Amino acid sequence: MIEFNHVSKVYKEVKALDDVSFTVGAGSVTAFLGPNGAGKSTALRILVGLSRATSGSATVFGRAYAELDGPAHRVGTMFAPNAYHPGRTGRESLTLGAMTLGLPRRRVDEVLDLVGLTHRESRRVVKGYSLGMRQRLGVAHALLGRPGVLVLDEPGNGLDPQGMRWMRGLLRGLADSGCAVLLSSHLLHEAEEVADRVVVVGRGRVLAQGTMDELNRGRTLEQTFFDLTAGADRSVA
Amino acid sequence: MSEHMVPVTEGGGAPVAAGARAPFRRLVAVEARKLVDTRSGLILAALLVGLTVASVVARGVVVGPRALTVLGTAGIGLGTLLPVLGILTVTAEWTHHTALTTFALEPRRMRVLAAKCLPPLIAAVAASLLALLAAVLVTVIVAEVRHVPATWDISPLVLLGWTGANVLVVAEGLALGMLLMNAPAAIVVCVAGPVMWGIVARLGTSGEVLAGWLDLNATAAPLASADMTGGDLARLAVSVAFWIAAPTAAGLRRAVRREVT
Repeated sequence: MIEFNHVSKVYKEVKALDDVSFTVGAGSVTAFLGPNGAGKSTALRILVGLSRATSGSATVFGRAYAELDGPAHRVGTMFAPNAYHPGRTGRESLTLGAMTLGLPRRRVDEVLDLVGLTHRESRRVVKGYSLGMRQRLGVAHALLGRPGVLVLDEPGNGLDPQGMRWMRGLLRGLADSGCAVLLSSHLLHEAEEVADRVVVVGRGRVLAQGTMDELNRGRTLEQTFFDLTAGADRSVA
Repeated sequence: MSEHMVPVTEGGGAPVAAGARAPFRRLVAVEARKLVDTRSGLILAALLVGLTVASVVARGVVVGPRALTVLGTAGIGLGTLLPVLGILTVTAEWTHHTALTTFALEPRRMRVLAAKCLPPLIAAVAASLLALLAAVLVTVIVAEVRHVPATWDISPLVLLGWTGANVLVVAEGLALGMLLMNAPAAIVVCVAGPVMWGIVARLGTSGEVLAGWLDLNATAAPLASADMTGGDLARLAVSVAFWIAAPTAAGLRRAVRREVT
């Protein structure tokens, strides 16, 4: 459902992405794993058209995101946890999204329930939200249109252990009902817990991909990760 | 925060009915709502209304029941706040990183920006009408209380021109905001503009000519007095092209190409 086809992205002097190819199928949770600055966010932004690939193409449902009919109904996205106006309430941020998508207001309550934000919390301005609450708000926003594909940039950042368990349950459930989930992470443990496939990137290149078992071959993911990313960390800003 | 596990009831990859793209009027409604759904937005709206009414009332009390003079006073507050409204409307998404969500929801950025520009322009018309209403009431009341005859010198053409001038200052704010994508910078340019033209106009004949054609505040002035000549119109057109059309075009181009981070 998601396909990266030889995607490269060159900023003035830095190659942020270098010939990245991988696919994410229905019913799976794929973790896009790599150190900070490996190009994960850039790749996800290119997929949704917020950034432009220098060469290659990234498609969802076989087309460029922007060319889909009602893309946000089909693909739920979450980017930085600061992507919500600090002076707006969480509920209002979701209401704007629901309005844009032409959804009834009760959908806002439904997604709030799905991510476990209480009604009282939803009426507070985002400025006062903890990082974990912002992540839940972001996931709620991504779920608004009942998408078949989810693209989440570092959804596990700032979640406490209960939050991680909740996220794992939510994403697992979505994948089991046929969703394709692509999430980025620099947290090995999180990827190992949540994902069934991993794409490891470093210095903008795909270093390895496959199921957890294929990649690890009896080692811990941590060993695998450090073997793969040796010398590839902190490559680009 | 409730930590209980919530059963997942999402519908997986169910196909969505065709035609799910947001119609333009829906985008306009969303963008209009964004103007007043934060505290800062509400404060700006309250300031706009409060300052308009207060200036009209104060002037009416001082100068007596002269409708046009009283109405014109509101132009000072509007001329300051309306460009700011325009600027903040188009820069907020970049300031607060909400562009990430907005342009993911609607990737056709040009449509979003067009939808963003409409509510402030309509607000300029509404603010002008509010000022008119306040001016009429103040004129009637002051005349009544002081037992002096009211001067009704607001012709429809004057009102139209004055409203048009208010719409132009919002458009200037929108244009500079879109071009610079930075509220403080755009506000400085808006505020410094008249000062700069004052200086330019004193730089000999060529400076005077330049200011005469490019100072939007000066070229829009004949609008409000409803005695526009062909030459005035040409000067207005040139300054609108320079301060509104060109920055809008460049700003739209910038926004469409820009990497959203």
